[in-house]
Amino acid sequence: MTESKPLQEPIHYVHVDEKICNGCVLCMKACPVKAIRVREGKVARIDDAKCIDCGECMRICPRSAIKALMGTKHKGGSVPRDYFTAVSASTALLAQFDEGILPNDILLGLKRMGFSYVHDQTYTNEMFNVAIELFIKEHREKDDAVFPLISPICPVVVKLIAHRFPSLLKNIPPLLTSREIVARESKQRFVARYYGCEEENIKVVHITPCPSKMICIKEPIFQGSSYIDEAIAISSIYETLKKNIQSVDEDIVLHHAGGIGLGWGMSGGEIAGLDLNCLAISGLQETIKYLEKVEMGLLSHIDYIEFRTCPVGCLGGPYTVVDKYRARHNLRKLIRMFGEEKRVKYDYVKKLYDKGWFHGVSPTLPMNGPLKQSSISDISAAIEKQKKVQQVLKCLPRKECGVCGSPDCPTFAEDVVEGKAILKDCIFLRNATEKNGKTI
Amino acid sequence: MPHMPGLRKHFHIKARDFAKAGESSLAVQSLLKSIGFDPGLVRRVSICAYEAEMNVVMHGGDGVLTLTVAPRKIILDFKDEGPGIENVELALQEGYSTATPECREMGFGAGMGLPNIKKNADSLEIHSEKGNGTHLEISITVREMS
Repeated sequence: MTESKPLQEPIHYVHVDEKICNGCVLCMKACPVKAIRVREGKVARIDDAKCIDCGECMRICPRSAIKALMGTKHKGGSVPRDYFTAVSASTALLAQFDEGILPNDILLGLKRMGFSYVHDQTYTNEMFNVAIELFIKEHREKDDAVFPLISPICPVVVKLIAHRFPSLLKNIPPLLTSREIVARESKQRFVARYYGCEEENIKVVHITPCPSKMICIKEPIFQGSSYIDEAIAISSIYETLKKNIQSVDEDIVLHHAGGIGLGWGMSGGEIAGLDLNCLAISGLQETIKYLEKVEMGLLSHIDYIEFRTCPVGCLGGPYTVVDKYRARHNLRKLIRMFGEEKRVKYDYVKKLYDKGWFHGVSPTLPMNGPLKQSSISDISAAIEKQKKVQQVLKCLPRKECGVCGSPDCPTFAEDVVEGKAILKDCIFLRNATEKNGKTI
Repeated sequence: MPHMPGLRKHFHIKARDFAKAGESSLAVQSLLKSIGFDPGLVRRVSICAYEAEMNVVMHGGDGVLTLTVAPRKIILDFKDEGPGIENVELALQEGYSTATPECREMGFGAGMGLPNIKKNADSLEIHSEKGNGTHLEISITVREMS
């Protein structure tokens, strides 16, 4: 066993391959936080400060010029041998196989691939459901939390909130996500099982349907660090795993949960286990729409909202293999098979909850410290800037074409005021001035 | 409305257009957020804007919202060509509503609109009479600031 050096990971996983990108405007138009510009008519550029790694640009790019960087070690699906590895898998992985292959087979397949310890996340999902119920009950009684609470599970949602809806950070309960709990417990159980094994020689690997889970490992946007050491894309191990599943000859039970814990991969799956007033929202535009409603205070009668920015939920993640609708059908069949009730024992989970087993670093402070408070002079300056933006906007054609290199006219107006673009970049203004012989 | 230096923006609100209802207040919310106002203040303003916008949408008659933003004060000025309010005092009572059953089916018209505005605004002036439209002047003073 040797000490392995941490991989040099970029802060953002989404990046543009400049050789392939032809500077079309599709990604720029699709970006929900308006982080992309196509300057000089050539290559799309992503503003790292704004990007939330949602992957919308990857999805829409017709030339596949936008990619997510992954840990290079796992190409070809080999398992690192220089340390003990514990593995947990998103439930989306369990839905990637057709009839006949059950969750337990998949977990055994992972074990056969060489992971020393395989942890069933679906069971922890059910425990997390109970923890949320307890948390909500506790704080509804004390009347000391803001409702609706927002699920901490999807990292893009958390990042989106930190960037665009910072006032809603306090709606995210200070509980560790089930994948984090799995990683923490894996390490402890591993040490207990293999005498003499040090915790630092164990790497917990999470098999993920999306790049955003990789980011929240390396760069947790909230204070505190992740228990997960590495994330591998479902797509990068799929073929190897499939072969290993076919040759499984062990007869151990690794999968313990019922249908509720399995369902988390699809939209509505997390709240299916909650006996509360809940909503499940999926898709990025819908997520933004409903976060706006929450911010306006229109949904305070709701207890809990499950947001997933991928369509259909995690099954629609960029790193999945099987078509998301087929995967959803697979998952539904599995849920029917394992029964729509939780297998965890309420009293047992309550004891753990009371001990603080689920509580993690309070996700109220983003990495850059407390929320910035604007002073009166900041506000005055911002108002003056907005006045200029309105003035520029009045001259613009409002075709929202994106040819200038900004996603729409209002954003272009802002770019002009900020000195990042010039009016001549607007093709309509340029044509009009050429016709009239006037200058802009 | 007295002249006030600051940012001014107009939003057109279409009556009965429930699909687009709420968009003006959302635009107000995101503008104030981008300027950097305190989230609590932004919330108060957007609740007022939303309730007043829904009133215009529900009770018929197109309207215009004029938003004025100054560092210390935000004014929402709603003018509509709707039926007007017959009894302003009654309309300010919680639970009093003249909304149609159709609106109520959609979850609106609980009679909380004007009371909610009054609760969240620093001043609310209503100029209205039956048949002559409604003019709402809502102002919010910026206190939450370091």
